[in-house]
Amino acid sequence: MRADDNENPYVPKSATVVAVKNESLETKTLRVRLYKWKAEFQPGQFVQLLLPGVGEAPFCIASSPSDQKHIDLTIIRRGLVTIASHYMRPGDVVGIRGPFGRPFPISRMLGKDLLIVGTGIGIAALRSLILFLADHREEFGEIDLLYGARFPEDLVYRDEMKNWGEKMNVMITLSKASPEWGGLRGRVTDHLDGVVKRESQIAILCGSPLVMRSISHELLRRGLKADQIFVSLERHMKCGIGKCARCLISGGWHVCKDGPVFSLDEISLEAIGE
Amino acid sequence: MIRIKEGDLLRLASMLGDMGYRVIAPTEANGVTKFSDFSAGTGIDLDYIRAINTPRDFLLPDGERLYTYRSTATVTSYGLKIRFPTVEGPCPVTINAEYSTPSGRIAFFAIHPCHANAIRYLDRVMLSDPADPYYKARRERSLIVVLECEEGDDFCFCVPAGSWKLDDGYCDILVRRSGDEFLLQPKSKAGEEAASKLNARAEADLLEEKAPKMRSSFSISTSEEMIDRCESEGLDSCTLCAACTVTCPTCYCSDIEDRFHLVDPSNVERLRKRMSCQRRCYSMIAGGNLFIKTKEDRYRWRLKHKFPFSSKAFGISGCVGCGNCIAFCPAGIDMRRTVGRGFKT
Repeated sequence: MRADDNENPYVPKSATVVAVKNESLETKTLRVRLYKWKAEFQPGQFVQLLLPGVGEAPFCIASSPSDQKHIDLTIIRRGLVTIASHYMRPGDVVGIRGPFGRPFPISRMLGKDLLIVGTGIGIAALRSLILFLADHREEFGEIDLLYGARFPEDLVYRDEMKNWGEKMNVMITLSKASPEWGGLRGRVTDHLDGVVKRESQIAILCGSPLVMRSISHELLRRGLKADQIFVSLERHMKCGIGKCARCLISGGWHVCKDGPVFSLDEISLEAIGE
Repeated sequence: MIRIKEGDLLRLASMLGDMGYRVIAPTEANGVTKFSDFSAGTGIDLDYIRAINTPRDFLLPDGERLYTYRSTATVTSYGLKIRFPTVEGPCPVTINAEYSTPSGRIAFFAIHPCHANAIRYLDRVMLSDPADPYYKARRERSLIVVLECEEGDDFCFCVPAGSWKLDDGYCDILVRRSGDEFLLQPKSKAGEEAASKLNARAEADLLEEKAPKMRSSFSISTSEEMIDRCESEGLDSCTLCAACTVTCPTCYCSDIEDRFHLVDPSNVERLRKRMSCQRRCYSMIAGGNLFIKTKEDRYRWRLKHKFPFSSKAFGISGCVGCGNCIAFCPAGIDMRRTVGRGFKT
């Protein structure tokens, strides 16, 4: 049976890499064009990327939902599939399954002030949301984007940050900055004072588990309620449809089906991981 | 209800085979009972209490092929890219995944009520939206003949787990031993069709499930906090052999991986392999981060998945009380001590 005939949730659909962009030393953005199909995704959802002959791994979509013929995936070299993805060239064939998961709660965010905190490669999962917010800027209140990384070389989307800065307040902080770095220094938790101030604020976090936990802790301490804080979690989902149980977290949630976006009143801080 | 002799019951198994079913029956070899393919002439162990494998191994076989595709390229561990020419010639511009869903009919013969309830749990997991097409195809055409237990062994606790009762749709024919004879009760249309071929005289009274005798009595009560607080005493002897998850009738965690054909590496299969939460790689993400680190955490994770997580996600307990994880544990770890209220060894 051919993949197009029937809806088998395990079988990927074809896509072609059309552009590869070097974001930083360890990070590349693959732009894939979907072959004879469209992905109807919303910010925060993820896809399973199959590299032929290597394997499959889940990645959050990093492109604007207004263009459903293309998907951007920002990938840092860490494991088997991610390293192999850095060898992809324009014209290479990949498989895409998805989109899967629960997106960011756009309806709850309308008209509210937003605080978006991304650290490290976590910013990739937030880029789709940032582009969406920039397109629909007037429907939201004040937007603060706080992006933390370690070294200046680790920063991704550097050329886009200027455009984003016209639409929202972009703050970039480096924890291990070189002396010539002119921006903010320190961890993201050091710069929350100026941006956490409002009752009706919604906070969106993505980063390594430990960082998300410490940011959540700081935000709760500063008076945000648990249902105002949303985190995007990472697990190695194998199937994406809740059949392999690899992405179970405390509380009995499947990250692939019920997440990857959770509000903190649904899960405990321990569920984020260490 | 039908009253038959043992020979007639064995005849029923071979008749199911003649009806086009692949008959899975308990057979004894090397001192253990194992479910395996039945063919006429092989014996069936009708007195077994415990089997080393479970119906899950036939509904969700280890190493099941999900689909195959032609790969144009691969990347070696050294990062070198090799482009394989495909047998058909030029590289395809799409991933032409090809798959087939299983077509045969399976009859589970003489499984115990706990096994039937394990199938009920797997149905909740695998048939929830979106349904697993491979499991669904097998399950839609399966027939279940349940043989009741009279008495459990030291490890059984299906009465506390409540899994001696059978839900509608999880038993086509109920069988009970009564002295030298067997009592049969067809419970579905397919079951009636099969039982009618025995040409035995039907009796008027109805056979209802009966709870087997248990050697220990306790009640099961669990929550995530309780499992988190459980004593870790005795858990350091765990060897992480994963026998508990391998023999569990409801463990379904899996891994999906690519397998190359040795001669033609452009021919790739995607296989679903069994995975165990007792293994390190279960919770590992790219970069080597682990979410479940110690063996105590893995033991607790298994119990959390069985009880609170399953109740939350599927509305049904994931433990059917078969006791396999206790009986086959080489370290003698007994999960009843953690989840059983009033349990005494």
